[in-house]
Amino acid sequence: MAIGKAISRVEAGDKVTGAARYTEDVRVAETAHAVLLGSAISAGRVRGIDTRRAERAPGVLAVITHLNRPDFAAVPPTPYTAEGRMPLVDDRIHYAGQYIAVVVAETREQAEHAATLVVVDYHRTSPVPTLDAALSQAYIPRENGLARVPSEYRRGNAEAALAAAPVRVEEEYRTAALSHAPIEPSSTLAYWEGDRLTIYDSTQSVHMHRPLVAIAFGVPEDRVRMYCSLVGGGFGNKSYSWPHVFLAPMAARVVRRPVRVTISRKQVFTGTGHMAATVQTVRLGADQDGRLRALIHDSVNQTSFIDDRQETASAITPYVYAVPDLYARIRVTKVNTGTGGAMRTPGDSAGAFALESALDELAHRLGMDPLELRRRNHADVDPVSGRPWSGKQLLACYDQAAERFGWDRRNPEPGSARDGDDLIGYGMAGGQRTEHQRPAQATVDLTDDGTAVIRSSMVEIGGGGLTTLSQIAADGLGLPTAAVTFQHGDSALPAAAPTFGSMTSGSTGSAVKLAAADALRAAIDLAVGDRRSPLHGADPDDVVAHEGGLRLRDRPGDGESYRALLRRNRINTLRGDGDFQPEGEDAEHAMATFGVHFTEVRINRYLPRVRVVRHVAAFSIGRVLNAKTARNQAQGGIIMRLGAALMENQRPDPVSGRFISPALTDYHVPVNADIGEIDVIFVEEPDTNANPLGARGLGEICAVGICASVANAVHHATGKRVRSLPITPDKLL
Amino acid sequence: MDETTRESPPSRRAFLSRSLTAGAGLAALGGTGTATAAAPAVAAAAAVDPPETLPVSLTVNGRRRTLRTDPRTSLLDALREDLGLTGPKKGCNQGACGACTVLLDGTRILSCITFAVMFEGAEITTVEGLADGDRLHPVQRAFVEHDGFQCGFCTSGQITSAVGLLAENPRPSTAEIKELMSGNLCRCAAYPNIVAAVESAAEGRS
Repeated sequence: MAIGKAISRVEAGDKVTGAARYTEDVRVAETAHAVLLGSAISAGRVRGIDTRRAERAPGVLAVITHLNRPDFAAVPPTPYTAEGRMPLVDDRIHYAGQYIAVVVAETREQAEHAATLVVVDYHRTSPVPTLDAALSQAYIPRENGLARVPSEYRRGNAEAALAAAPVRVEEEYRTAALSHAPIEPSSTLAYWEGDRLTIYDSTQSVHMHRPLVAIAFGVPEDRVRMYCSLVGGGFGNKSYSWPHVFLAPMAARVVRRPVRVTISRKQVFTGTGHMAATVQTVRLGADQDGRLRALIHDSVNQTSFIDDRQETASAITPYVYAVPDLYARIRVTKVNTGTGGAMRTPGDSAGAFALESALDELAHRLGMDPLELRRRNHADVDPVSGRPWSGKQLLACYDQAAERFGWDRRNPEPGSARDGDDLIGYGMAGGQRTEHQRPAQATVDLTDDGTAVIRSSMVEIGGGGLTTLSQIAADGLGLPTAAVTFQHGDSALPAAAPTFGSMTSGSTGSAVKLAAADALRAAIDLAVGDRRSPLHGADPDDVVAHEGGLRLRDRPGDGESYRALLRRNRINTLRGDGDFQPEGEDAEHAMATFGVHFTEVRINRYLPRVRVVRHVAAFSIGRVLNAKTARNQAQGGIIMRLGAALMENQRPDPVSGRFISPALTDYHVPVNADIGEIDVIFVEEPDTNANPLGARGLGEICAVGICASVANAVHHATGKRVRSLPITPDKLL
Repeated sequence: MDETTRESPPSRRAFLSRSLTAGAGLAALGGTGTATAAAPAVAAAAAVDPPETLPVSLTVNGRRRTLRTDPRTSLLDALREDLGLTGPKKGCNQGACGACTVLLDGTRILSCITFAVMFEGAEITTVEGLADGDRLHPVQRAFVEHDGFQCGFCTSGQITSAVGLLAENPRPSTAEIKELMSGNLCRCAAYPNIVAAVESAAEGRS
């Protein structure tokens, strides 16, 4: 069995030698370079824009503004078109950094220089700078905004149940705006041949984004070919087509040459979304024995003046615990900022900070162990639909992670544990993520040299899909993983599920499994019908794949290699098709992934910087496809969110609303020295109720619950309850 | 090039000072300003058209290369655009992420915040130059074995940085590895595996 094995990544050799090709590494002859000029103000309009000096600068081919741009054919649909307003359509400015000109030149240096020569006359209006400034204007967006979940959910009468509950916690929690900050800045290279458009784009899904570009430029989808093999970090920001993606083909049309747009690091922060800041209130009502009676979770997030995009912080809340009376609501409010976007893990990460912090406060008030509180409110079935879970090993996660961590050594008294000048705190929190599935297609070709080729448009973003899907095909055909190659990242291939929303394993993985089974079936049919085959006349159901060929299940000696079978029949390849269609709303089971986190913090009592020295997490995600890549991904999700817990904050300037730290020098993400010991446990149980493969997603659930676990540990260490992220030293002084 | 500058430790300050010196150099080439004050010199350089290209000869991965490049071109852009290498990556173009790390005469530097024309006669090694033919460098092998990456975009810089680190300090402690690798950001946060890879490469060597 290849599945589950801790094998090294199939693309590892390319990644350690510099041979791996990302979008910025693609070279096309005669490529011109475009630099995007961003607005210096955050609200108003462009009264005048003087491009004459820029146009005369050496090497400049064109300067495109709202005054001279070609028209877009149409506005492609949101949400995967990131902004509902196409770039350069008018003189209006909605946020700082919004693109107002495209400078195209022979070289990047020339374009950068010329962009500095553009003179802009702005008409400023008064911006709405911050979430706080707009909080009183919060509203439920019409047509549900851009979210796929309802803005409101109600069961029972939460207000009445809360009023009647003997123990209550009612608090406000805040999360900061976060930046995805992938190390690869987004890049798009586009060229036209007549009405055919070729586009290399750093996208998490060529098939989700190709139609958007086709619509914007009014060409049939089959005239657009989009490529992306490898993404240098996405975390959600490359799951949308941001404005630069449309400006590259536009510029290529204007200068009649291939044009590359690679946005600057600053533009990664301003032009490819962020996780919106939230203000949330959680109200819990419980019995003295810790049984939850009422839960009200209300969230407001900032959105742009262009779009209503919800950070769906309370969306998961109805599904997590067995609470009879519950109300959840998600509102937005307009701020002069760019449109936010899904960032690992949209909604649930911010929501879990509030909910799991409130539960810790309740446990403290009840004098109850916070883990026991969660056990008492375990949702045995999905509390929303009443359906059984497809698979849920959360109680086992609790047990195994608590034991590994040594939770039973915790003295519940805050401030009770010390080591010299260090205050020591133990905290825990849970996490849950609804499992999403999408249709996915793949083919698997069995070739006459005894190897197999997977064809599916999947983009590798680092989650390990190239490797795990190769393992799936290898198992399906009885081949070593090394005998499987993967053609991917090309819209001409069968459509994979997007590489976001934790859908690769479950959806694209299932498509590969089905395709491999189809190819195997074709090989078996060929063999049993072939007089010259040792398997001739056998019942197809008695034939199995084994070590590069076929054999009888009961008589291992009888069989032959794929190579012999195909060559004798003069067949180059046998193609298997895989078409995974999720069951959707009618599924018998509710599907989710689950996790629990335990964190040890140490805080110097004179300089209260929080250090996470130890973190143990356990996850219930069905089957683990590759122990090595899965562990890496889970550690990474935890560490990314430790950044949100302790340092990451994309602060708006209180006057202009402009992000004041759009650089990696100022927007601090975790570095190697920040990281203590991270321990990950997978409580495995193949979940074939969810999909044929039995695997659910990992990339998102691993990043839910960490912030609350840290905050709860900080409370245990210090007695201080920090309800606003990130937990910086000033909040503990 | 000033030898003392080149041999100074690979701190961020050293790179910045090197960049500023280059800015002053630009101004001198443009015929205005003096090389004494960096900031006015840079401003002056922007005001006139710089010479379109300048020649520079340097050794990259053991091969002597001569090119003409825009004096504004960073070493990173010259490696990528003029010499066609894809290993060194542009993550931030501000010296903050480490994805562009290369070795200058064996010492790690950030190639994005220094100008190509400053490297006349220098010996540069990128991640492409570490393997011996098909035989991976021990640090590369350790990164494969320990899965020291996910998306891979920072990996060239991480590996080059680790090679430089082990040259500076062949037997680093775990804490030293964490500290000395902290100039190389990994947003996928494969940090525990990066540390394991560097540790195992160090042990293999000792």
